[in-house]
Amino acid sequence: MSVADVQKVHIVAYSGLKKTFINSLQEEGLLQIEKADFDTLGLSTPFTEVTTVEHQLHRLSHALDYLSQWEERGLAEKLFAQKLQVTSREREEILSEDFIPLLDQVENCEKEKNDIDSHLRFLEKEEEFLRSLQSLQLPIKSVADTETTEVVMGIMPLASFRELSAETGEEAFWSHVISQGKRHVHLLLVYLKSQKEHYRQILKDNNFSPLYFTETMLKEAGDQGKVMDVIQALSKEKDLEKGKRELLEEKGKELASSREQLMRIHDVLLNEREKRLSSRNLGETTRAIFLEGWIKTVDIPRLEAKLLPFSELVQCYFRPPLPEEDPPIILENPRIGRPFEIITKLYGLPQRGTLDPTLYLAPFFFLFVGLTVSEAGYGLLVALSSFLFLKFAKPRGGLRQFLTLMAILGVATVILGTLVGGWFGFPIRKLMILDPLKDPVSFLILSLALGFIQVWFGTLLNMISRIKSKEYLQAIFVQGGWLILLPSLVLYALMKQSVWGILALVGAAGIVFFAAPSRNPIARFFGGLYSLYDVSRYLADVLSYSRLLALGLATSVIAMVVNTLCQTALDIPWVGWLFAALIFVGGHLFNLGISFLGGFVHSMRLQFVEFFSKFFKSGGKPFKPFALESKYVEFI
Amino acid sequence: MTLGLTIAILGGAFAVILGGVGSAIGVGLAGQASSGVMSEDPEKFGSLLLLVALPGTQGIYGFLSAFLIILKLGLTGGSVASPSVFQGWQILIAALPVAFTGLVSGIHQGKVCASGVYMVAKQPKDLMKPVIMAALVETYAVLGLLITILLLNGISL
Repeated sequence: MSVADVQKVHIVAYSGLKKTFINSLQEEGLLQIEKADFDTLGLSTPFTEVTTVEHQLHRLSHALDYLSQWEERGLAEKLFAQKLQVTSREREEILSEDFIPLLDQVENCEKEKNDIDSHLRFLEKEEEFLRSLQSLQLPIKSVADTETTEVVMGIMPLASFRELSAETGEEAFWSHVISQGKRHVHLLLVYLKSQKEHYRQILKDNNFSPLYFTETMLKEAGDQGKVMDVIQALSKEKDLEKGKRELLEEKGKELASSREQLMRIHDVLLNEREKRLSSRNLGETTRAIFLEGWIKTVDIPRLEAKLLPFSELVQCYFRPPLPEEDPPIILENPRIGRPFEIITKLYGLPQRGTLDPTLYLAPFFFLFVGLTVSEAGYGLLVALSSFLFLKFAKPRGGLRQFLTLMAILGVATVILGTLVGGWFGFPIRKLMILDPLKDPVSFLILSLALGFIQVWFGTLLNMISRIKSKEYLQAIFVQGGWLILLPSLVLYALMKQSVWGILALVGAAGIVFFAAPSRNPIARFFGGLYSLYDVSRYLADVLSYSRLLALGLATSVIAMVVNTLCQTALDIPWVGWLFAALIFVGGHLFNLGISFLGGFVHSMRLQFVEFFSKFFKSGGKPFKPFALESKYVEFI
Repeated sequence: MTLGLTIAILGGAFAVILGGVGSAIGVGLAGQASSGVMSEDPEKFGSLLLLVALPGTQGIYGFLSAFLIILKLGLTGGSVASPSVFQGWQILIAALPVAFTGLVSGIHQGKVCASGVYMVAKQPKDLMKPVIMAALVETYAVLGLLITILLLNGISL
């Protein structure tokens, strides 16, 4: 319902306790450590080295990523898997383990495999090259210049080769076609050295590019080896490498079984790093350490109990935050409202001393998602699947909160879907209070009325928070003025009774005379008159809620379309029922997806743009306690 | 088949075509951006899919309006209505709000989503913020749809 009380805590402790002390603070996770003001206090910052740990962490997460390719778990298993649990005693043991050899093994395995892969790629390229020359029945070594002739091998476009033959028909130029493709031809050419300049020019003009055997090929071939011999040798080598690769694959699989061990080490080291980073925020003298931080007021007894064993060596001082300080913000809501904190947090935490809007937005959000989705069947599916996932997979943290929210919104959709929508496109008329397809105008009025209520309520909250911050004049005359003006304008427009008109004028008077801060009465009057123009903003805000109708209708009509298509498919002989079933399931799942996405996002927008703009000031800092963090395992 | 009916059908076609074109361009823009991001970081597929799918709604709104027109004209089966030329024009004009707001907002929502994709590449935790930004653009397609539905509802055959 509000923002939790926090207090500043200063702790002075005997420096011999440093390690145990920091450990227990991390285990409890009650404190957000702030950097102490060393200069004014005349303390030194202890130097702690973190690069080694960071380097090891980096290596560990890389190794874990690499090994994950051998993980043999299906998607469902992954979703519902429980995290590994690690107790605090195990943590100590893990820290003393020497995991570097294991890590080296993983890294070597990866490196060897990469080497083999690149070698294989190299061999394949060589082989591809030789394949085009395989019909050459000469020993490779003999493709070389003699005393009087130049011997060249190369490739040339087919068209150019025909021209070349014509040009060099009668001369001392011999060519042999090694192989001929669709567009290119591989050639072996022999010509006299004495005329090489002449022939080289001709070849160049005809787009000839020479090819050479590589060192490796020449070595493989020896004195008598032909192209085919080299190809055979290469493929033998490839098989050998592939064999090695399979062995490495086996080794990788074996190593993957130690993934869990690496996961534990990774998470323990992660916290080791946090500890070291945090101890940089401590102040230190030769005998004592000093620490400054924030703690929830309700958690103070827990911290004191935790520090009781060291009571003679530790001293804590608590005080409420000073006016110039910016304490972290912790939202505190009853259980039912807690999932809606996601929405507040997305926009930003409230500033110090302002309202937490979570509980105020919750009923509206509940209604709006229900109305925009307005399909009871979809609501039931979402609520059930969220609930089952929560029950069996037991997610934690943000995911848990999100799924709880989805379960609640699913229930909202079941209720409102039954009232104004249907079940998978089939309305239950007896339970419906309003059919938006038949009577969209009534639904539009309902949407706008809900919008009016929320906008008015937002203005009321603005008045309350201004009273809290002692801006009485603004609160009573301006916000109060709007609170009177808006409903009386509506009522006057509807009933044309002069009493509402007079009330509207009263409200407007308050706004005109108090909205502008100027001391000059004329500027004040006109400034106030100008702020009456805000009435158009209120109008625009209320009209924005018409989206509730549009989105709600969209869901019902698409559901109807799906059912109509099913009906049509049923007419197909023999397999009609199969098509109908496929269309029904696929179509409704698709509609469920887009309507929940649209409903969620647009309801959220209504909170952020239309509701929050009336009273909410974000900009609070989140509370980040120094606590155990984990990526792969769960600490117990 | 009367001229009125033909004009009314043209209205339905406009709604689907323009809404669909807007969405296709929008989804295309966001899709290109997200493929670029995924080439560096394939893990982001799930969260980027959301942003890519978002400009797709305009096409659905157009489709939806066309379907309402089909239902109104009784083209799914049974007796086909025979609207006068004026009624045909009325239906065509009623389809224009969703058609044009869908076309323009689809393209622009796609641009917002594409830049949202780049944002998620750097700040993966802030996925919902670009989604909300994109929804601000979509508002006008929603309003277009709303007016089309109300107009269609008001035309009596």
